[in-house]
Amino acid sequence: MYFYLPVALTSINSFMTVGIGLIVGILTGIFGVGGGWLITPLLMMLGITPTVAVATGANQMVASATSGAYAHYKLGNVDFKMGWCLLIGSFFGGFIGAGALKILTAMGNADFLIKITYVILLGIVGAFMLMDTLSKMRRRHTGHYERGDSKPAGFLKNLPLQTYFEKSGVAHSLFVPIFLGGIVGILAGIMGVGGGFLMIPVMVYMLRMPIHVVIGTSLFIILFTSIEVTFLQAYTNHSVDFILAVLLLLGSTIGTQIGVFFGKRLKGEHLKLFLAFILLAVALQMTLQLIMRPSVLLAIAGSH
Amino acid sequence: MQKIKNQRSKIKIVVFLIFKFLILNSALAGELSAQLTTKVNHDHIKIDFFYHGSEVNVSGASAPGTDIVIKITSPEAQQILRRKGKAAGLLWMNVGELEFDRASNLYFLHSTQKINDILSQDEMDRYVIGYPALKKHIEVAQVNDEDEKNRWFNEFVKFKELSRLYAISFGQIILNQTESGQNYSIKLNWPYQATPDEYLVTVYAVKDKKVVEKAEARMVVEQVGIVKTLANMAKNNGAIYGIISIVAALAAGFGVGMIFRKGGGGH
Repeated sequence: MYFYLPVALTSINSFMTVGIGLIVGILTGIFGVGGGWLITPLLMMLGITPTVAVATGANQMVASATSGAYAHYKLGNVDFKMGWCLLIGSFFGGFIGAGALKILTAMGNADFLIKITYVILLGIVGAFMLMDTLSKMRRRHTGHYERGDSKPAGFLKNLPLQTYFEKSGVAHSLFVPIFLGGIVGILAGIMGVGGGFLMIPVMVYMLRMPIHVVIGTSLFIILFTSIEVTFLQAYTNHSVDFILAVLLLLGSTIGTQIGVFFGKRLKGEHLKLFLAFILLAVALQMTLQLIMRPSVLLAIAGSH
Repeated sequence: MQKIKNQRSKIKIVVFLIFKFLILNSALAGELSAQLTTKVNHDHIKIDFFYHGSEVNVSGASAPGTDIVIKITSPEAQQILRRKGKAAGLLWMNVGELEFDRASNLYFLHSTQKINDILSQDEMDRYVIGYPALKKHIEVAQVNDEDEKNRWFNEFVKFKELSRLYAISFGQIILNQTESGQNYSIKLNWPYQATPDEYLVTVYAVKDKKVVEKAEARMVVEQVGIVKTLANMAKNNGAIYGIISIVAALAAGFGVGMIFRKGGGGH
C-alpha cells in the first residue's frame, strides 16, 4: 500500500518503510546506537531527499529511543546520573562544535576535512574496539586475566565532586563525564552527526561502564539529542515528514523491543564485537561513498 | 508600345499570383488554426493520502497531414543544486552549488515522430522543444565555457530523468484520421514525484519542419485533505508541528514499551 508524504512530496511503499523501521529498531535495541547512519541511505534509496531523511530519521528515533530506553530502564540498564552528566556536557559541547563548524566553513574545504576526520575516527575507534575485545576474549580463553588495567589515573581521582554511579558501578568526579560529554558534543556539532557512535566507546573505555548499562544509557542520551534535532529541523528546515515518521516508528518501536529482548541474551563481549563491526562497516560504507564516482553528479541543495 | 503593354500585363499576372499565393496561404493557416484543439482529461489532480501518481490523457484534433508535438512544463524558476566533484583530486563530495535559471521542474515532450525529423533546429529553439533547445534556453551560472555547460546540463537532465520529471518520447501519440482532419491522443503516466503546481500543456501542429499552430491547456496538481493540512502546518507552524511530531513519537515509544512490558517482553 502506498502513502503520499506531505513534506517529502513523494509516494512511498508503506510495508517497505515499516520494514526499514523494524530493522533499524532491532539494531537500536541491541546496540543502543541511533539509526541515522542506516536510515538516511535507505530512505534516500526510496526517493526521499537527504534533508527530509535526516530530519524524519531523528523524529522516528525519538520513538525508538523512548521504547528502547524504557525497556532498558525496566531491566535496570539506564544510569540516569551518568546520562544527565554526559547530556549536560554534550549540550554545551554542541554549541562550541557548531561555532567551530562556522569557522571551519569560513576557512573553506570544511566538508573535506570533516568527512575525512569522521571516517578516520570511526575506523580507529572500531578497530580499537575490535582488537581490544578479541584480545580480552583470547585472554579469558587462555585463563590470563589482567586486573586493574582501567583504573582512573591519579589526578582524576583527586578531582572534586567524586561521585559513585550505582548503576554503572564506577566512581568518577562529576567533571569527568561532563567533560567527556563535552568533547563528544563538540565533535558531533562539527560533524553534524548524533554522536552516539562516539559516546558508546567513551562510556565503555573511558568511563568503564558495563556494556549493557552503556546501551541503556546511550538510548537515554539519544532520546534527548533526537528530540533536539527533530525540533530544530521542523522549526528551521521544515523537513520533518510526519507520515513518514509514523510509518517508520510503527516498525522501529516494536523492533527496538525485539532488539532489547535479544540484546540481553548476548554476552557483553559479543555486543562489543558486533558494535566494533558496525563502526567499521559504517566507516567502510562512508569510504566507498567517497571513493566511488556517484551515478549522478547533482543533488538537491541541503543534502550532505 | 506593344512591348510595354505585354510587360505591364506580365507584371499584373505576377502581382495577381503573389496575392493569390498569400491569400491561399493565410486561408490555409486560418483553416489550421481552426483545427488544432487540445483537451486534458484530468486537469485537476488531487493529491490525497493514498496518491501514487495519476494517468493523464491529452487529446484533440488537428489538420490532416500535420505532426503533433506535446510539451508539458511547470513554471520556469531558478533551481539550485549541489554539485559533486573530486575534493583534493581524491574523494567525491559536494564541492559547490549550481544555479539553473529559467528551468522547469518538469519537462515532458512527446511527438508523433522523432523530433529532429519533423522540426528544424530554429523552430525547436524558438519554442524550446527538445533537450538541445532547452540547453540553450536554460542559463547555468558558475560555468566558464560551453563544454562545462554541456556537461552540467547533461547531468541536470540525468538527475531529472531519474526523478521521472523529465522525459522525451516519440511514437506514442495515437493519430486517427477523420473526415475533416485527424484526432490525436496520448495516455501519460503522471509521476507522483511531480510537485503541486500549475502545469502548462502546449500542443504544436507541425508541418514542413515548421510549427504551423499552437494550442494550450492547463492542469493543476494540488494537495487536499490531511496531506494539505500537514504540509501547510510544516511550512507555516514549524514549532507546533515539531512539538506534535515529538509528542507523538514519545507517546508511541512509551505505548509500545508498555504493551511489551505487559506482554512479558521485558522484566
